[in-house]
Amino acid sequence: MSQIYLLQLASQQAKWLTARQALIADNIANANTPGYRAKDIQPFSEILDQTQIGMAATNPAHIVPASEELAAAATPSESESWETTVSGNSVSLEQEMMKEGDINRSFTLNTNIKRVFHQMLLSALK
Amino acid sequence: MASLDPLQASLRIAGSGLEAQSARLRVISENIANAQSTGTTAGADPYARKTITFDSVMDRALGLPMVHVKSVGVDPTPFKVELDPGNPAADAKGFVKMPNVDLLVELADMREANRSYEADLQVAKQSADLMNQTVNLLRDA
Repeated sequence: MSQIYLLQLASQQAKWLTARQALIADNIANANTPGYRAKDIQPFSEILDQTQIGMAATNPAHIVPASEELAAAATPSESESWETTVSGNSVSLEQEMMKEGDINRSFTLNTNIKRVFHQMLLSALK
Repeated sequence: MASLDPLQASLRIAGSGLEAQSARLRVISENIANAQSTGTTAGADPYARKTITFDSVMDRALGLPMVHVKSVGVDPTPFKVELDPGNPAADAKGFVKMPNVDLLVELADMREANRSYEADLQVAKQSADLMNQTVNLLRDA
């Protein structure tokens, strides 16, 4: 059922967003740590392209691959930064704040979409 | 990071950032308060400016990268010398060693600590906000 898959996709994106939020919290907390390099994870679309939809197990003899976690596939790496200070710190607070706003918008969109889907499913029940 | 929910984790990390920046503000206020503190005996050294450095440390209990105060050191810049024969810290020639605190530098540092503290607060606020949004999914469905 495609609707169910959409909800799953939405929750995967929420997981990706929260993982990114944790990474940005780390960047901002280290905004004045000498030698710290700003990190980021790859875009959601990129992670989505890498994962394939698992086949359904319709027989007990089928081997089910371990449930792939999209968010777990995200690996933090050094990100492009707007500035590097003399102490070797590459965190730009402005840039991180932009990412924060980005996450906030995407997360709001995400929860609103989930709510609409949920209402849609409920309208079939009530 | 696997054990803790990422939003909870970002709250904790932002908290460690707040703690580090407030420690920095403490050191700055110490420096400003002591900007005129000379020694008490003749030729004695005055207050030496303190410096603070941070480090990113993996918290073993939580498995999270946190910021910690690495060390509070002493600025090795030479002391300024002023002619003030009446001062109890004046040497035989009447010169007094003054602290190596530059108010302008301290104020600029304070501003920077302030900005970083605000950024950390913003992260904490947003993490709480995102959690709220998730909870609200259940509220009016």
